[in-house]
Amino acid sequence: MPLDYKRFNGPEDSVSYKRFTADYLKSYDELHSELIDETGHRKDGRAMDEARPMYVRGNFVSQAKGSSYIEMRGTKVVCSVFDPREIVHQNEFSTVGLLFCEVKFAPFACKRQRQSHVPDSEEKALSVALRKAVGPTVCCQLFANFQIDIFVYIIESDGSCLAAAITAAGLALANAAVPMFDVVTASSVAIIGDKIFIDPTEDEEHLAMISPDTNTNHGVITMARLNGLMQIADFRQIGSLDIECILKVTDILEQECQKVFPKIQKTLVGYVKNGIMEQKRLSEEGKAREAKLKDKMLEWRSSIVNNSV
Amino acid sequence: MAGILLSHTEKVYITHGVKNEYRSDGRSNIDYRPMELETDVVSHASGSARLRLANTDILVGVKTEIDVPKPDKPGLGKIEFFVDCSANATPEFEGRGGEQLANSISNIMLRAYQSAQAFNLKQLCIFEGKQCWKLYIDILILECGGNLCDAVSLAVKAALFNTRIPFVKAALMDGGNVDLQLSDDPFDSKWLDVGSAPLLVTLCRIGEKCVVDPTAEEESCSLVSLIVGVTGNPKYYNDYEDEEELPAFEAKCSVISMHGPGSVSPQNLRDAINQGIIAAVCLDEALGKTLFRERRDTEQFKRHSYGFLK
Repeated sequence: MPLDYKRFNGPEDSVSYKRFTADYLKSYDELHSELIDETGHRKDGRAMDEARPMYVRGNFVSQAKGSSYIEMRGTKVVCSVFDPREIVHQNEFSTVGLLFCEVKFAPFACKRQRQSHVPDSEEKALSVALRKAVGPTVCCQLFANFQIDIFVYIIESDGSCLAAAITAAGLALANAAVPMFDVVTASSVAIIGDKIFIDPTEDEEHLAMISPDTNTNHGVITMARLNGLMQIADFRQIGSLDIECILKVTDILEQECQKVFPKIQKTLVGYVKNGIMEQKRLSEEGKAREAKLKDKMLEWRSSIVNNSV
Repeated sequence: MAGILLSHTEKVYITHGVKNEYRSDGRSNIDYRPMELETDVVSHASGSARLRLANTDILVGVKTEIDVPKPDKPGLGKIEFFVDCSANATPEFEGRGGEQLANSISNIMLRAYQSAQAFNLKQLCIFEGKQCWKLYIDILILECGGNLCDAVSLAVKAALFNTRIPFVKAALMDGGNVDLQLSDDPFDSKWLDVGSAPLLVTLCRIGEKCVVDPTAEEESCSLVSLIVGVTGNPKYYNDYEDEEELPAFEAKCSVISMHGPGSVSPQNLRDAINQGIIAAVCLDEALGKTLFRERRDTEQFKRHSYGFLK
């Protein structure tokens, strides 16, 4: 791993003090029992099948052509999309446009370790996943030999980062008026044993990735969906799950993606409405100004005529 | 993957064929091409295998090294995948041309091997918190004939099956350090337990249907493919004398991923996952039986094979 020489890194064989804290030394069972309380609710008071409330807005970055911000309690994601530009360093003409995606964690985004400035393998994998998920919805054939840049910055991460990033990218692309087939939304699920955590937090995701000693299901699934066309743009699973579980989760994820869809639609319709209102206001103002100028012109003309007489 | 130039009519021919469950090389949509597998081909590696699936040629070598386990996983060994796309396969891979493909293959292999139910890293532990084995799995792509992921996963499993880990004779604590003594005898070693290692199955969506084991031509007709990683059944890789002691087995998905710029309908996805699991279970049985038979022949000095690199 590349070292960050601007920081004091400590001796080579040093380990983080966090390894000796009580939180870190908890066993798998302890962590597992902590996730759900006696009433069947999760740590943050949600039911198992309840997603976190989502705050969505566009036009977040003034310098970008289109941008969006999504917040799901502890997960905060900014996405900006820039105008198509010619592909640099390319010797062949490409008949379809390219998408360039970059997902970046803020150095303070994760609670387990500090993220370095150099893109690590997780960020690269997320970037590839994002490109796969938004690829099917962008009309790439319309801008041959051009590329569109999509930058996602994860300010705070508390689980379901990829799902949030995909939804944010979909909204930002629409906000940037990039021609698209459909709105893309994503949702994610963590599975531990027979329990299905919808929209998991970081703790739940972390535990779902650890293999238990018994031969039970565990894993994380993220799905991106084109809601109008009812197509699945991306589906990625990791862990170890049996087929019934996967098929069940597929249905759940489809519903979850569908639930996010109206929020995005509403936001987009809001911007279109605002745009039309703005246009109306501007044209009315323009008309008023023109009328005023006309009056002045008439006044001036009549004054000239009067003077000459 | 690698650049194949097909005219529009050729693509239509392939697509229509798949629609009628009949492919240009005479297979149906769920058939694999014949493959050749050799193990123990590289003498300097701990384990190796070479797989030829029609025109796809993969050579895998496993090297073992002693390493310090990660502080947060003291009881587990390490495993790493490196894929090298040789420029022999296609001129496109020259320089850094094959890098993206290589990264995507090694990424998906790593994800498939991540769960302990797929590959148990505990067997690579030497001394908890101090020493463990690290497996470097080097995958060399010698020729591209489509369906790289499946071929790579088969070859990796065969190479791991073939891998010997030396027994550690003594582990002395010397001022907190571990002193390991390995035996000089190359046969004083244990085999890895790889029965549950996953196999990847690529399902290429062509038109409305999915095909397994696509050729390079078919791959260029398809916009999206689904890769399903399915854990193997240890039954076929071990010599269980008593059928009773067999652990209950159920094929599980260890990874699912989609590649390519297209999308699929939900029903298509479900069918493809089901189809992938069925294909993987058949493939795993065939691979396990072959590898196990080969090992028994080698142990009884019955095997006289002359092939690749020999």
